[in-house]
Amino acid sequence: MGFLGVLIRNLVAGPSTDPFPFGETFTPATLRGRVEYHPADCVACRACEQVCVGGAIRFDKTPEGLRFLLWHDSCTFCGLCAFYCPTEGITLTDDWHLAHPQSRKFAMVEEGTIPTIRCAACGAQALATAPAAALFDHPPTPAEVEEMRSYCPRCRRKVAAERKAS
Amino acid sequence: MNLISRISARSPWLYRINAGSCNGCDVELATTACIPRYDVERLGCKYCGSPRHADIVLITGPLTVRVKDKVLRLYGEIPDPKVTVAVGICPISGGVFRGSYAVCAPIDQYIPIDVNVPGCPPRPQAILEGVAMAIEIWKERL
Repeated sequence: MGFLGVLIRNLVAGPSTDPFPFGETFTPATLRGRVEYHPADCVACRACEQVCVGGAIRFDKTPEGLRFLLWHDSCTFCGLCAFYCPTEGITLTDDWHLAHPQSRKFAMVEEGTIPTIRCAACGAQALATAPAAALFDHPPTPAEVEEMRSYCPRCRRKVAAERKAS
Repeated sequence: MNLISRISARSPWLYRINAGSCNGCDVELATTACIPRYDVERLGCKYCGSPRHADIVLITGPLTVRVKDKVLRLYGEIPDPKVTVAVGICPISGGVFRGSYAVCAPIDQYIPIDVNVPGCPPRPQAILEGVAMAIEIWKERL
């Protein structure tokens, strides 16, 4: 009569089947899914492109600036890009709803552009990348970050050295 | 004929082709089908052993040069209408093997693909989502 215990336990506990696709499913908080790119935080070091095992990440020089492209159909979701990113400019979300019809195959991309600007101090052409933390001797305010972003790399170093000296 | 179409729309049979996969996606497919937690049979699906019984084809692997002819012959044996699902990034784009002399990826150069499920490997719920998409296409084709 031992089966009665199992029967009653199963009746109380309910089915162990995951309700998906008819209901909600469990997603672990650390699941590595769809990749997100944040151009405002990117320093354009291109480490993510270097470490990408699937060759999913590509940087292109366009007239507008430096364009970042990631194709999810080539991404292994290993998370190396996010691991090596010095500024959290690239992160992995927990969105795993990536199944798609063939017509959307080449639309499964994450895209972003770091714009090209004229340096506010010397007028040279430069990328408006996020300024490195080493340029400041204190945690920078958003206004300071935006100001530094408008300079070319050489003027950034000059301005930073002057401020640290004063 | 109408009755048969109506009945078979509710029970598409799955067939799995391993086109040189590393077995990661195949393990996930087995997980999706064989353990009660994910249970693909709730969608009316059932794995079959013969390509002649298949309705929905799940392809894993980057289509290595060695299995290419066999996969194409096998695919030709599956009766129409059929729906093809590429599971994992290898058949979709070549993934980490793209550009190798030993693979013919992407697989859609040789076989018409209907649904892609990216991931390395995709989680069982993502495969279920892809199979659900394939069933919708299967209903239209009947």
